[in-house]
Amino acid sequence: MKIVHKIMWANIINIIFIALVYLFAVQFLELILAKLQFVEIADDLNASFLEMRLSEKNYFLYGDETVLKEIKGKLDESINSITSVQDSIVRAVGDSKYKELRRSVEEYKAAIQQVAANIASATEDTSMQETVRDSGRKLREFSAKIVSLERKKVNDIISHSKKVLFYFFCVAILIAMAATYLFFSKFLRSLKGIEKTATCISQGDFCKVEGTVTGDELGSVMAAINSMSEELDSRYEQIVQSRKLASLGILTAGVAHELGNPLNNIALVAQTYLELADHLSKEDTIDYMRTIEEETHRIEKIVQDLLHFSKPKQPNSKATEVNSVVEKSFKLVHNMLHVSGIDARLNLQEGLPHVFIDEDRIQEVIVNLIINAIEVMSPGGVISLKTYLEEKGDYVVIEVEDTGEGITAEHLPHIFDPFFTTKGVRGTGLGLSVSYGIIKNHKGNMKVESKEGVGTTFFIELPVHRLIA
Amino acid sequence: MNGARIMVVDDEKIVGKMIKASFEQDGYTVETFSDANPALARLEEEKFAVVITDLKMKDIDGMQVLETIKAESPETKVIMITAFASMDAAIEALRKKVDDFFPKPIKIKDLKLCVKDLLSE
Repeated sequence: MKIVHKIMWANIINIIFIALVYLFAVQFLELILAKLQFVEIADDLNASFLEMRLSEKNYFLYGDETVLKEIKGKLDESINSITSVQDSIVRAVGDSKYKELRRSVEEYKAAIQQVAANIASATEDTSMQETVRDSGRKLREFSAKIVSLERKKVNDIISHSKKVLFYFFCVAILIAMAATYLFFSKFLRSLKGIEKTATCISQGDFCKVEGTVTGDELGSVMAAINSMSEELDSRYEQIVQSRKLASLGILTAGVAHELGNPLNNIALVAQTYLELADHLSKEDTIDYMRTIEEETHRIEKIVQDLLHFSKPKQPNSKATEVNSVVEKSFKLVHNMLHVSGIDARLNLQEGLPHVFIDEDRIQEVIVNLIINAIEVMSPGGVISLKTYLEEKGDYVVIEVEDTGEGITAEHLPHIFDPFFTTKGVRGTGLGLSVSYGIIKNHKGNMKVESKEGVGTTFFIELPVHRLIA
Repeated sequence: MNGARIMVVDDEKIVGKMIKASFEQDGYTVETFSDANPALARLEEEKFAVVITDLKMKDIDGMQVLETIKAESPETKVIMITAFASMDAAIEALRKKVDDFFPKPIKIKDLKLCVKDLLSE
């Protein structure tokens, strides 16, 4: 499901839930309102009955006839009132109780009417007074009961509403937590995967995002990263190759000198032979020819070394002795060092354990570092190549140190970033990044230390090959 | 000027060997050195009419050999040969009063003509 749909669903559920809470609250509030209205009427009735009882008492005490009329008027009002809220009363106390109330009112009315019909004897007739008082008390008790009953119901409804709202609150929290877990745990897992892959890629390991590619927007990002990683992996070889060709271009300056000497030797031997042919002994002639042959081999060797360096190669790792790789790399550049007036010092520790490496790749890295060092040094500079075993004995270290200008603290953290260069248009900014990738692919580390005005040291750490060592 | 003393300094021994063989045929006396230091020491002992030196050598730079010779024995002619013939190197050598400059591969005939010209000056 797409993220936008997930958010939409979350919103829909949210809205439905809020609507439910709203409907519930409205229903309860209406119920409370109805009850309160009813309580108000019941209160009025109660008050009215109380007044009637007071009037009734006054009548029996002072025999004022107008009081009886007042009672009758109030009774009629009460009967109207009871009839108008009949439904509410039936709902509140039940049909039988309602009828009982009606009956009580009617009885009281009848008793009052009887008193009105016998005004002369009423104040003296105790049995009549007793009937009126009884039915009046009953009525009053009944109405008071209804009021207290209804008040209690209102309280019940409020406390029930409180409980229900609390349950709604709990359910809302549970839904929120579940939704967060369902929607975002997968989302966060995918994000973590993407972050991990991006870190791998930045270190030259063109891995893919772990886990299944989902159908949402994040899935599209994952798929895009995976295809980018694949593309980078296939382009990586091209980058390595183009970088190598760039190195080769720089090496050519040294190679020109390297080839120039044997060519000159052959030319000189040939010219001398042509000049002195008549005077040369057989041994001399053989010596001349051997020289020519040797010099041709020398040229062939130089050309082969260059070809070997420039040719694209299939990765081929095997247990290797590091010193031999350093020496081969050094041989490839020694003439360039010579031409550039750079002094080279080799300090290779004997008896180092083997490392499991692709010799050609590591050679490319070393050559690249030496060429970089030559470029930043003026004649008289010194380049030191060292090999040794790291303290813990887990890595064999190749150290390439120069006495160049050093790298500024500002540039140092970016030195292995792709396309970062301090050489301006002369640099591609790929050399060190490709080298870094090669070393990382060997499960090794590449580090740099530099001091402005003093020089720079690169450390290549390659894991010891335990099976062989 | 046959019989003149010529010194060849080049870490490629064949260069000295061939120049010696060819030049001695014409009556020159040729001494060869593959390192600059013994060559400079020899120059202190004896004067040479022409010194042919390589530019890039292991111990001392040919430019330094040129400088030393021109400082101590200005009449000695110096011819520089190099497999790394850059314009910068040629200009620097000219500044240091080199008498001629030959890029490798060398044509012995031209070298001989050059030596002959320098000696007849």
